[in-house]
Amino acid sequence: MNRKVCIVGGATTPFDYGPTGFENIEGGAAECVKETQRDIPEFSLRDIDLMIYSHFSVHFGHQLAPEWIIHDHLGLVGIPHYRVENGGNTGGSALYAAALAVMSGHHDVVGVIGWETMDSVSQSQGSEFIAMASDIRYELLVGGIYPIYYAAMANKWMHENRVTEEDVATIAVKNRNNAMDNPKAQWYRNEHRYITVDDVMNSRLISYPIKKYDCCLMSRGVAFLLVCSEEYAKKVNPDGYVTIDGMGLSSCTIRAGDRLNFPGWIERYGPGYPDMTEFAACRNAAEQAYKMADIEDPLREIDFGEIHDAFSTSEAQIYTALGLADKNNIAQFIRDERTHMHGDIPMNPGGGLMGYGHPVGATGIMSAIECFYQLSGMIPKKHLSRKTEVPDAECGIVNSHAGTGTSISNFIMRRH
Amino acid sequence: MGETEVLTTKKKKKFAYEPVFTEKKEYRPENVREVGFVFVGHEISEDGNVMNQFLHYDQLYTIRHGQNSRFFKGLLDGKILGTRCPRCGDTWVPVRTHCWNMDCNLQKTEWVEMPLKARVHTWTVAGWSGRSSLKRLPIILVYGVIEGSKVAIANELKNVKPWDVEFNMPLKIVFKPPEERIGAIIDFHFEPEDGWEPSPMNKEKERIKKLVEPVYEWVKTLK
Ligand SMILES: [Zn+2]
Repeated sequence: MNRKVCIVGGATTPFDYGPTGFENIEGGAAECVKETQRDIPEFSLRDIDLMIYSHFSVHFGHQLAPEWIIHDHLGLVGIPHYRVENGGNTGGSALYAAALAVMSGHHDVVGVIGWETMDSVSQSQGSEFIAMASDIRYELLVGGIYPIYYAAMANKWMHENRVTEEDVATIAVKNRNNAMDNPKAQWYRNEHRYITVDDVMNSRLISYPIKKYDCCLMSRGVAFLLVCSEEYAKKVNPDGYVTIDGMGLSSCTIRAGDRLNFPGWIERYGPGYPDMTEFAACRNAAEQAYKMADIEDPLREIDFGEIHDAFSTSEAQIYTALGLADKNNIAQFIRDERTHMHGDIPMNPGGGLMGYGHPVGATGIMSAIECFYQLSGMIPKKHLSRKTEVPDAECGIVNSHAGTGTSISNFIMRRH
Repeated sequence: MGETEVLTTKKKKKFAYEPVFTEKKEYRPENVREVGFVFVGHEISEDGNVMNQFLHYDQLYTIRHGQNSRFFKGLLDGKILGTRCPRCGDTWVPVRTHCWNMDCNLQKTEWVEMPLKARVHTWTVAGWSGRSSLKRLPIILVYGVIEGSKVAIANELKNVKPWDVEFNMPLKIVFKPPEERIGAIIDFHFEPEDGWEPSPMNKEKERIKKLVEPVYEWVKTLK
């Protein structure tokens, strides 16, 4: 690896849906930067030498190149800027780009701003916009929304792995209840209640085996993350900075049905994988990240994660893709609550997409920020209590996930 | 370019192949129209601090199918056309105009007519969907492998109770009547193969039935 890549700060606006008075994206971005400055007062906007913008769909923003609005609002004329778009993995991909920029030695201080404004259209229209990232010629007209594709994949995976609806419901419960300790989280700000497995089981059918509470939230939100060289990190946040020790980005087919016999996967992992059940890009990206961070036993060496729980089922599928469990023990792994706050590898202490929210372009950045807060000891400051703090966290994983598993990134972060 | 210019400038013939479109069909519903940007209203909060505006924007797109055209034209004719690599023999629906196998180095594929038979690879029962599909709920969506294909294709399964769908069940491909086809994937759907009988009710089927029944009721309330 070349230069070390560090994270020194970051913040999100509250994630929400509908009017709350902070809807303009450039205003939200400015507030995120100001909150970061309150955490690390040595950081000045003058230090930034590259801005990377993370935004999924201009359909939601009724504006092309909306990053240009944010950029000059922050006073940053003359500083290079570009936007990264990679479906649900837009945030992870923007972070990947920022890390490459620092690693290369060409840039020292890179700001990443992610956002999505999904409440600018109706919920059902929003679902249809997102589904336009499926192959519209073949899939949009027959399915219509992403949860249906994910449900078809999860249904087979659950049958083959003997994972039940109740099992995955515990994940939906966990993430929402974690969000009850996070004032920025959409679940905290809206429905605001602790839920049970029964609540999930009794919520309305979205697409079998997925019910309403197995799904993440449509959101509006902005997030800002400051990525930099170690030299700069030592200057502005010597005691709290976090290093990105490993990262991986991988890809899979746009149509999930094309994964049955794909030569590129057969070459890597043999026939029969990933089928429509496994997230091969997640496994592949994890292998890259683990290798770079010298991780041999992820379950033992990683303390916690902020991962892409677009659906409770996909969080479960991600456990196996990350190598935390396999076909033989995944159901028991879930039943033992290994990923709850009291487990040995808590997942989504910040609430995840189901609790915190999923404003697509901001989501991966939010996950990285929550991971940073844990590792730098800032949870008591950012959450309402220590209930969602992972004690003595040294190493965290951030996972960002697009399409039907079409692009996936994983990052290993450590307290320096 | 002004209107007069269009009238007076003779259209130049392209050097490259230029398709001449002789078969044209319009089936635009009355409420579909392009009006560009229109501000259609606004709202202001009681305290005067927050304002929202309502903008309508609509656009007609041309999906230019190019090398994929024969698949979509095939649908109009009630045929499933797949593609096959002449080097490795892999065959696909959805089609690939070039082979996916790196050893075949983007070999151009050839068209083959596929049998109207498939098998369920995986399935789901949808109780919610995008705006344009709500009235069709509940929808059984299956990924079916058409006989001979290396991949699965998503489409609706009809003529079966939502709780009776099974992994691996044999399917036939059924096309809409010719006059209703539009050259899109919804021109056909799957149905159970003739003679197929559902297995008896079990715990999972009861569960799906319980989840689906309110969906039928809800759809009745839609205008
Ligand atoms: Zn070939």
